[in-house]
Amino acid sequence: MKKIVAILLVTVLVLALAACGTQPSGGGAPAPDKGASDTIKIGYVGDLTGPTALWGTAGKYGAEMAVKEINAAGGVLDGKMLELVPMDGKGEAADSVSAFKKLVEEHKIVAEIGTNFSSCNIPMASVADQVKVPIIGTAASNELVTIDESGKLHPYSFRMCFIDSYLGTVIGNYAYDNLKLEKAALFTIAGQTNSESVGKFIKDAFEGKGGKIVADEQGQEGDVDFRAQLTNIKKAEPDVIFIVMNDYAKTATFAKQARELGIKALMMGHDGWDSAQLAGEANGALEDCLYVSRIGFNSPEAKAFGEKIAKEYNIGMEAECLFGYDGVMWIVDAIKRAGSADPTAVRDALEGTDVFKGLIGTLVMDPKTHNPSMACAVYKCTGDAFNYVETIEAQK
Amino acid sequence: MLLQQLITGISVGGIFALLATGYSLIYSLLDFSNWSHGEFAMVGAYVAIVFSNLLGLPFLVAAAAGVAGGAAISFLCERTTYRRIRSNGAPNMFLMIAAMGLSNVLQQAANLIFSGQYRSYAFRLPVTTIQIGNSYIGVLDIISLCITAVVLVLLIYIINKTKFGLNVRAIASNSYAARVLGVRVDRTIAMVFLLAGSLAGVAGVLYGMKYNVFPTMGNVGLKAFIASVIGGLGSVPGAIVGAVLLGIIETLVSAYISSSLRDFFSFALLIVLLLVKPSGLFGVDVQDKA
Repeated sequence: MKKIVAILLVTVLVLALAACGTQPSGGGAPAPDKGASDTIKIGYVGDLTGPTALWGTAGKYGAEMAVKEINAAGGVLDGKMLELVPMDGKGEAADSVSAFKKLVEEHKIVAEIGTNFSSCNIPMASVADQVKVPIIGTAASNELVTIDESGKLHPYSFRMCFIDSYLGTVIGNYAYDNLKLEKAALFTIAGQTNSESVGKFIKDAFEGKGGKIVADEQGQEGDVDFRAQLTNIKKAEPDVIFIVMNDYAKTATFAKQARELGIKALMMGHDGWDSAQLAGEANGALEDCLYVSRIGFNSPEAKAFGEKIAKEYNIGMEAECLFGYDGVMWIVDAIKRAGSADPTAVRDALEGTDVFKGLIGTLVMDPKTHNPSMACAVYKCTGDAFNYVETIEAQK
Repeated sequence: MLLQQLITGISVGGIFALLATGYSLIYSLLDFSNWSHGEFAMVGAYVAIVFSNLLGLPFLVAAAAGVAGGAAISFLCERTTYRRIRSNGAPNMFLMIAAMGLSNVLQQAANLIFSGQYRSYAFRLPVTTIQIGNSYIGVLDIISLCITAVVLVLLIYIINKTKFGLNVRAIASNSYAARVLGVRVDRTIAMVFLLAGSLAGVAGVLYGMKYNVFPTMGNVGLKAFIASVIGGLGSVPGAIVGAVLLGIIETLVSAYISSSLRDFFSFALLIVLLLVKPSGLFGVDVQDKA
């Protein structure tokens, strides 16, 4: 009897796990190569199951929506249908690289969208050059995503965001020039490429203007208690704390712990704060605090699209869905201009993009670096939400 | 500022203590380190999430369910896995390996069911703080420390003053003799798993309130394990002292040296202690376990 119960339990568990494992993927991931000639396949790699799945799935939904729109309007290149093939990169470099390889080898994609992490797109860029299939990073803002360490361009790697140095510089300048702040503390995550790199450029810009970094503290990936470092920051009495973390839940925890320690300084952040949940999660600890990021949902088209996605997929409005959508649209634009769905021709057309107007705003491509220049926006926390305050025009 | 760092250290150590005592209790009875103990806390935290966020029940009910959840999963692991391995007469190493497996299974299951997202309870305490001289302590921390203290005092009382505690100590001392003298060994062990699991449940809910709930949150169990070794594996008071000590050391290293060296110090301390005083600070020998 016991054995039967045990066998039943195991069966139920296995079935339950199997059920959890098979996620519906709107674009579908059919058997490799089937009907490759009738459809043009676009790959998507994002974190679909890990701690940042909120962004990865939002990006996927955005891309799905774009594919649906293009197909409903008759497809591209004389009626060829588009097909999105999403793969889980888990937000990890190794998983993202193998997901991309699988998309190229098994699904013969024309181009790939994602991820939103520099740490994943840097290794993916070298692979893209080898297999000669273009990739488009979304929020992957480290310089090494498109240019290797020796300063050579990755010809097949593109991005749809401004680079770390650009945003870091904008934040540092804005804090000093517009907010008239002079003493700042900096908090970054050791070993996290984006965090360290944005932090460095904030510091350079702020100090370059004449400001002083009075505390420069670091945490570790996976840390949840920041009070040891915060106590040091408190002692340095900064006017502003730059929190450069890419996880909204931890940024909220950081802010709450800061207020619990009696720190009253303004807190500022970068695009890692871009989450609808941050303000509520911080539960008042980030009141009046600011971050600088993309213009996001502050154009009427983007807002309408975000609301549509949120309603259709029952999720919050995450800016990543705009990238997913624009990524597909940009590739389609390139395919049309190239008159071909050959990956190399698409790459040439992407590089030759003069101006691409998408939901994320106007993107002006620099063919030498593949780094677009874009305007950005300042957001302020009021109650349970961050609200758009003003636009900072594109800076050199 | 040192006082502030000490307060932080004690608050960090409080969570370690709740888990460390669980390690110690199980170790004292079965002579193995229950590596899935941190995951019991994680399960408890998620049970509370389900009750509070999905079912919309009052937070106290959800918290109680979380504690019960920790106890239930601990009890279930004992009944379905550990007891079978013991009754097969397998060496203790097998228990440890099974525990590692369970730890992985539970973590992955949480990942599949709830995704890797950080979650917080629908119930939120306002961010309030109390000033003591130049230092501050969060109200949530005070509540959490008080609960920890009450729970641990209760635990020590149970172990030292009740008949059940006497049985536990008897088994810890010599399970064969205890059985001969009429102690129901398996039953007592199952009860200890319930007890240790509910402590883990308390830790999980408190940890979730302070730092959010996520599938890998049980990794804090590793620190609790170090704490229980520092205190002397098998000694409940030792585990508490070890936990607070470790919390303070980690905070001071993060603050005055570097957060990147924090784990280095914790593990180095573990190695040095195992070399110099393997029985831990409270030097428990076989007779005095639990």
